[in-house]
Amino acid sequence: MTLVRLTLRNLAGNAFRSWTVFLCALVVAGLTLSATLILRGAESSLRLALKRLGADIVVVPQGAEAKVETALLMGTPATAWMPAGNVGKLATTPGVAVASPQLYLASLSNASCCSASEMFVVALDPANDFTITPWLKQRLGSDLRLGEVVGGARVFTPPGERYIKLYGYHLTLKGNLEPTGTGLDQTMFLTFETAQAVAKGSKTLAEKPLTIPADSVSAILVNVRPEADPRLVARRIKQDLAGVSAIPSLDLFQTFRRQMSGVLRAVIALMGITWALAVGFIALVFSMAANERRREIGVLRALGAPRTYVFQSLLAEAAILALGGGGVGLCLSLLAIYLFRNLLVVSLGIPFLLPSVPSLLLVVSGGLAVALTTVTLAALIPVYRISCQEPALAMRE
Amino acid sequence: MKIIGILIMALAVLIAVVPIFYNCQHDGKALTLANGMKVPMKCFWTAMAAIATAVPLFGIGLLQMFSRQKETRRALGALGGVLGVMAIALPTVLIGACMHPDASCNLVMKPALIFMGILTLGLGVASMALPQKLAGQPA
Repeated sequence: MTLVRLTLRNLAGNAFRSWTVFLCALVVAGLTLSATLILRGAESSLRLALKRLGADIVVVPQGAEAKVETALLMGTPATAWMPAGNVGKLATTPGVAVASPQLYLASLSNASCCSASEMFVVALDPANDFTITPWLKQRLGSDLRLGEVVGGARVFTPPGERYIKLYGYHLTLKGNLEPTGTGLDQTMFLTFETAQAVAKGSKTLAEKPLTIPADSVSAILVNVRPEADPRLVARRIKQDLAGVSAIPSLDLFQTFRRQMSGVLRAVIALMGITWALAVGFIALVFSMAANERRREIGVLRALGAPRTYVFQSLLAEAAILALGGGGVGLCLSLLAIYLFRNLLVVSLGIPFLLPSVPSLLLVVSGGLAVALTTVTLAALIPVYRISCQEPALAMRE
Repeated sequence: MKIIGILIMALAVLIAVVPIFYNCQHDGKALTLANGMKVPMKCFWTAMAAIATAVPLFGIGLLQMFSRQKETRRALGALGGVLGVMAIALPTVLIGACMHPDASCNLVMKPALIFMGILTLGLGVASMALPQKLAGQPA
């Protein structure tokens, strides 16, 4: 009888033991993959959002930092206002290369004049915008015109309609940005001119008019000169301009990052406990199986099977169960995370983006390696002890 | 230990129950017609159809638990697999869910039906392919 055949027969012979080890490997691999994917997905989503913003410094009204960060991260509408004169002052601050103002608006909640309820809307100045306009020129070959908008990955024109309604004003969706997994995916971008036209039209077309305070902006995105240090420039902006807060992009989303590191610690602790429990449980199952199969192994040895053959056959059982359980666990957790990714974002309040295929394969291989190591390690001592025993002694007991 | 039969019954219960609590009708949303009449959105009908899929699936799980013959187990596994495919097709191809990506039918009902459908299909295939002893059936 070959080693593989003997192993498979032994696996089929004790369904309880096989299923127990299979489930332990499934849980360990599935948990490892889920935790890694969620944490890495949140991190890569943050990185992409920062890259999409493209600014070295974000200047917001003092006290509105958290509100603006939440808006950019989760797409929750925020309004904050500061004098538009700050844009000119910023442009002359030493170290500043470009200063681009933005208006933060929101669609109405559950109103027939707005296609989407409480959607975060960002108005840009195409003359000096460096976030969306370069992408637009490259992709569409033109700037945004009056009545045209660009949406995040999850912004769409309602089915059966040609326009997106905002305060009763009809807007044409010119394109969608690549997904980032953050609130930017649910954000609509338009020009200052369009925003003013929407505000003007809303007085007659909307259930409630859109108010944009005169000579005000919500935030100013700043790019510094190549030789300048963004942190130093941000400090200088805070000193020179009253009532504003300048956040270097490296310090953006700090509250969220702190929250994530807390989650990371909890997840590592949970994984450690699960791993230790799984190792203990599998070791117990294999010890019980070793005791139960003393005579069987003794007979095998008496028939001439060498010690290494017994050792290999028992370890092969553990490895097959680990790979099977681990594989199923990885597939299930991957499927669950893919299907429930939007629920994760909404319920956990974290941005999330699935990693690229190569890094996904790397994580999956890692999960399989963890399952294999866990089961093999747990089974090693009982398997070694049973394969070392004398055949005569084993058969007599 | 008739694992597969028990798992299929558990999945059948979930396929019937989850959509009931995660459709737009349950959240108090409905389509308003031009005459002012309110009608349920299509995710509600998906939820109803899911119940119709879950009932025979539960029966298959029950029969699977008590089936002694390999042929019966295989036939039940194939039927279970077909109903699993139906559970996947209801929110994706046959009826569908609402357009809004953040509606509860899109966040929970649709992914849950697809996930449970795939699990049911997997269990159906497993009950056809696994050796009698591993499937927890008397030989």
